[in-house]
Amino acid sequence: MGAKIIRELRRLPLLAYILVVPTVLGLSVGAYRLYAGLGQTTHLSKVFPWGVWISFDLTTVALSGGAFTLAALVYIFHMHDLHPATRPTVLFGLLGYSAVLVILFFDLGRWDRFWHFLVYPNINSALFEVSWCIALYSTVLIFEFSPVVLEGKGFEKLLAVIKKLTIPMVIAGVTLSSMHQSSLGALFVIMSPRLHPLWYSMLLPAFFLFSSVAAGITLVISGSILSKWLFGQTLSQKVIEKLGWFLPWILGFYLALKLGELLVAEEVGLLFSSGKYSVLFLAELIIGAVIPIFLFSIKKIRMSSEGSLVSSLFVIAGIILNRFNTSWFAIEPINGVQYSPSWMEIAILIGVLSGVFLVFTLLAHYFPVFEETISVEKPVLKKGFLTYGEKVSNAAGD
Amino acid sequence: MTKKSNKLQYGFLIDASRCIDCRACMVACSVENNVSMKSTRIWINGTGVVGDFPNLSRYTAPFHCMHCEDPSCVSACTVGALSQDENGIVVYDDDRCIGCRYCMYACPFEVPNMDLTEQFPLIVKCDMCVARLDEGESEPACAATCPTDAIIFGEQEDMLAEAHRRMEEHPGRYVDRIYGEHENGGTSTYYISPVPFEELGFPLAQEEESPAHFNRLVTHGTPTLAAGVAIGMTGIYLTIKRQKEDDKNIDNPVHDEGNMEE
Repeated sequence: MGAKIIRELRRLPLLAYILVVPTVLGLSVGAYRLYAGLGQTTHLSKVFPWGVWISFDLTTVALSGGAFTLAALVYIFHMHDLHPATRPTVLFGLLGYSAVLVILFFDLGRWDRFWHFLVYPNINSALFEVSWCIALYSTVLIFEFSPVVLEGKGFEKLLAVIKKLTIPMVIAGVTLSSMHQSSLGALFVIMSPRLHPLWYSMLLPAFFLFSSVAAGITLVISGSILSKWLFGQTLSQKVIEKLGWFLPWILGFYLALKLGELLVAEEVGLLFSSGKYSVLFLAELIIGAVIPIFLFSIKKIRMSSEGSLVSSLFVIAGIILNRFNTSWFAIEPINGVQYSPSWMEIAILIGVLSGVFLVFTLLAHYFPVFEETISVEKPVLKKGFLTYGEKVSNAAGD
Repeated sequence: MTKKSNKLQYGFLIDASRCIDCRACMVACSVENNVSMKSTRIWINGTGVVGDFPNLSRYTAPFHCMHCEDPSCVSACTVGALSQDENGIVVYDDDRCIGCRYCMYACPFEVPNMDLTEQFPLIVKCDMCVARLDEGESEPACAATCPTDAIIFGEQEDMLAEAHRRMEEHPGRYVDRIYGEHENGGTSTYYISPVPFEELGFPLAQEEESPAHFNRLVTHGTPTLAAGVAIGMTGIYLTIKRQKEDDKNIDNPVHDEGNMEE
């Protein structure tokens, strides 16, 4: 028995062992935060009651937008050649949302009452909408991912039911996603006195929705290219090229919407007269939209792994900067009070992120997450799913 | 959206020319509501010492929740812990609050406070001593205690009328603005002051319409968006499926089922 466990542990990819350390450290700091309170552990204040955790949540939800975008393209728009990307993307979405939920739990002053949003509704509140949609959408993601865990273990009847329900669940997932992606933007509509006018707009929900679609697609592209190095699997370049083709359209629309809003609100002058804010705003749009629109328009770049990866990283960097700007950098200080996170806030973040990647690594090790991706043979499920795991750990250089 | 009823609407009138910075209101509030002096529901804003010797001056004014007509915090609160009662008082249910601190960002007057050093912190915010009023007292602790009547309490309309009366009776004593009359779409607390409110350190919440209004426009729009997305997606799915089946039937008349998966 003991020898079996040791043999099992030795089969795990090296990455899993590397990730255990920051996960345990970060979560220990998290436990201390729950015990000691926010004041002792964070740099949050009356003037800046939200900090890096909220910026992280907004970013992660945006980047997890790939799951609903891809589900819509594959199942609703019948683009079945994109199907190989769905499993890793849905898993990434699921883990992204889990990270957000864990961080939100640490962020709540009354974490002992986290469930109150289920029983005390305020339909006017954007945060109430966000909470419900994220809770429901996480359930949809678990449903969408469940076949990966259930396949080949004698759950044929259950799997048949799940397959029948796929389309309604995908439609529910897309609906819930477009609701909470836009509601996250709506969160800031009530903060007009605090948010810099370059970012403040009644169109914030639309900005957040469209940028999350772009963020999601680029994360699928870069994720599949990076996983080639980490796990030894990747999507075919043809699929990556097809995904990249969408981006100039989405980003172009987003850019037009952002600049159009400034024109209508007669705030174009602010683009160059707001000092630090002008720099942040222009950086976010040039890095996240202008450059990648240009890059993704070139077929040669879309056809190359490195080209697609670099272009995607531009979009991701731009979206990350946008979410951090909206929730932190562009929040105007009161009486000169600024915010910068404490080391414990950062430690908890790193811990949760490492934990998420650890779970991803383990699931990819034990379950056929990359089943349809190329460069991996069909896993032999009859003999037990571990055969698959051995192959992965070999690829990871264990 | 605002709950305007025929019931009595309470309000404050705060006169900065009368405040002597004795802070008795803060102590009274702390005792009445059993909150620590570290994070009180009422505090003093002021100009600091200004001018050149010997013509020095210093003005102060107590500041607490404005009790907006359309409060941003009430719209923002995730769990409805903040609400507006029938007398226009913005009240707080500390059994519901989850400590998300959204109200602290939403409030344009920077009112909701929180003692973050506590293990289980709660929002600290003026509720016009609603429990005290329910017991039959005529005014909140701060107004009852103020030795110079810098804070007076009564019916909202009377407070506004009194503000106008004082400004007319003493032309030149006050700046020509009643803070709270239009800020954030109108509030129940009115300030008159001999110096501009910016100098007193008051937040410049100058919106004629409360941000809560715009917030509702977008949050109430979301279900419409959802319905649109759900119907649109179903429509697109069925249309493309139908089209594909038609194409297939033309190529190959044998009916093929279950072409969705794989």
